[in-house]
Amino acid sequence: MLVEESIKSAISSIKTNGVRSFLTALAIIIGTAAVITVIGIGSSAEKALEASIDDLGPRTLSIFPSQRKRGGISSGYNPLVIKDAEALAKNKEHDWMIAPAMSGNRQVKFNNSNISGDINGYLPINFKVRGFDIGQGRIFTEKENLGRKKVIVLGSKVPGELKTSANQLLNKDILVAGTSYKVIGILKEEGSTGWQNPDDDLYVPLLTASQRIFGTDRLGWINVGISNDTNVDYVMMTIEEILRQKHDIGPGGDNDFRINDWSQYSDLRRQATGIFTALIAGIAGISLIVGGIGVMNIMLVSVTERTREIGLRKALGATQKSIMMQFIIEAVLLCILGGILGIIIATSLLFLFISINDWVFSMPLSAIIGSITFSALVGLFFGIWPARRAAKLDPAVSLRYE
Amino acid sequence: MLISTQNLEKKYQVGSETVVALKGINLSVKKGEFLSIMGPSGSGKTTLMNIIGCLDSPSSGSYMLNNKTVSDLSDDELAKIRNSEIGFVFQSFHLLARNTALDNVMLPLKYAGKQKAEAITLAKDVLGQVGLSDRCSHSPSELSGGQQQRVAIARALVNKPSILFADEPTGNLDSKTGSEIMKLFKKLNEEGQTIILITHEDEIAKKSKRVITIMDGLIESDVENNDE
Repeated sequence: MLVEESIKSAISSIKTNGVRSFLTALAIIIGTAAVITVIGIGSSAEKALEASIDDLGPRTLSIFPSQRKRGGISSGYNPLVIKDAEALAKNKEHDWMIAPAMSGNRQVKFNNSNISGDINGYLPINFKVRGFDIGQGRIFTEKENLGRKKVIVLGSKVPGELKTSANQLLNKDILVAGTSYKVIGILKEEGSTGWQNPDDDLYVPLLTASQRIFGTDRLGWINVGISNDTNVDYVMMTIEEILRQKHDIGPGGDNDFRINDWSQYSDLRRQATGIFTALIAGIAGISLIVGGIGVMNIMLVSVTERTREIGLRKALGATQKSIMMQFIIEAVLLCILGGILGIIIATSLLFLFISINDWVFSMPLSAIIGSITFSALVGLFFGIWPARRAAKLDPAVSLRYE
Repeated sequence: MLISTQNLEKKYQVGSETVVALKGINLSVKKGEFLSIMGPSGSGKTTLMNIIGCLDSPSSGSYMLNNKTVSDLSDDELAKIRNSEIGFVFQSFHLLARNTALDNVMLPLKYAGKQKAEAITLAKDVLGQVGLSDRCSHSPSELSGGQQQRVAIARALVNKPSILFADEPTGNLDSKTGSEIMKLFKKLNEEGQTIILITHEDEIAKKSKRVITIMDGLIESDVENNDE
């Protein structure tokens, strides 16, 4: 019943001095709001990142041509060529999907519309590796690739850029660098991956691109689709072994290609987000401590204002412990209310931010529990001194305090 | 003997000067007495009340309450004695403004560690005794001065204390209300309640059965009063 009395007394004191209580709790409110917002943004961004990695379909490694150095002198690019991809594809040891690609910019025309389009030379398997789904029509076949057919698949936004619609374009011819190609399919919207947008691109069979458009067998990159349970290091070793043999690189020679593991990038990004979150949490922690000092200050004022009340409570039999409890509960309650208000503000900000970015709301429960606990601890820590002062007051003197 | 003091002295340090407020008080009070302590301001009557009310400890001398020495107890032990043995009524009522009459009366029971249901029953009973059964849920600002002082008296009585201390209980009341409060004290005394009144008004002191006058930290007179 004494605890109930303390809580009742604390609530009525906070309510009576409403504006003062709010201003006192402001630093706690801002601190908590900052932590929760940043953690929420981090968590939602991670969810979005995971979603975009899932969009990539199976895990993907990418092989890029690289500068080859001999004795410190760069000897230019040693290209990746179609034959390299064929050599990789011939290896049956791994259950991988070899997806070589080349790309370049060419003029694309339909009726009177005219854009500069990113033309990609793909194999049918490339669509699978990248997780692209066909929206209308179909993807070209291996046979069409081998036959260097003039067929083209469009990203979902290309019809719009050509000022027409998907229905108008399907099975029609468009001009790519002056040659007409038949539109056989239009992809579903894939969304930007951050560094490029597949919805803006156009896709033709690799051999068509190689011989009819770009006139080269040099590849831009080779994607290697592997299943998630694959031993990535072993796959990378095999790729190195095959390509070094094809490129005739002796022992001790540097690779003239590099292999990227995209999941490593997401790990890095996650790490960066983590560091950022920790940094903001640290700053917000300082704000909470500053808030705690404010709470201590106002509690000291409150103890002075209520000297007579404390004297009376002591005259009626309140022990030092019960007076202390009353004021600590008031300080803790003030901080917890500040924390809750901060969380409410942060959540509203997050919903705004997330609706702008088209992310999914995600907030770890531990962050909410943690920040309220931390606020409570701030109240406890900074409430102790004022509460001790109240508890130590001389009842005879404080009863007559004016 | 309810109260028995021996050579009670109290010294205060004011800057470099030592002020002696009580210079050796020997006082005995029996159960059921109605006693007034009189004296001008600065005479030491407030200091005496603080000590026998267990709000303060003497510098020297001994004080026995209910045959128990209390002059050398710790703060928290004194708090427990104040809670169970002593009820205070003050000139300015000292009610908690944001609490109802019932909550104010329940406060000592909370510090006594009583269960809520029991506390409510006890508090309502004693509010009935002072004639305020119908004012339980009123806050002090909704009550007249006399009613507020009755709430304060109910609060002082709720733990059935050995002594009821009243420090200028009519000082903030008009004379009619004041005499009503004095009648209430008289009635309580007739029911067996020991009452100690601290006052500087002769009129008020006359209503009690024994009047002690304090002057310069010493008992100047101790007179039985048989007028009433």
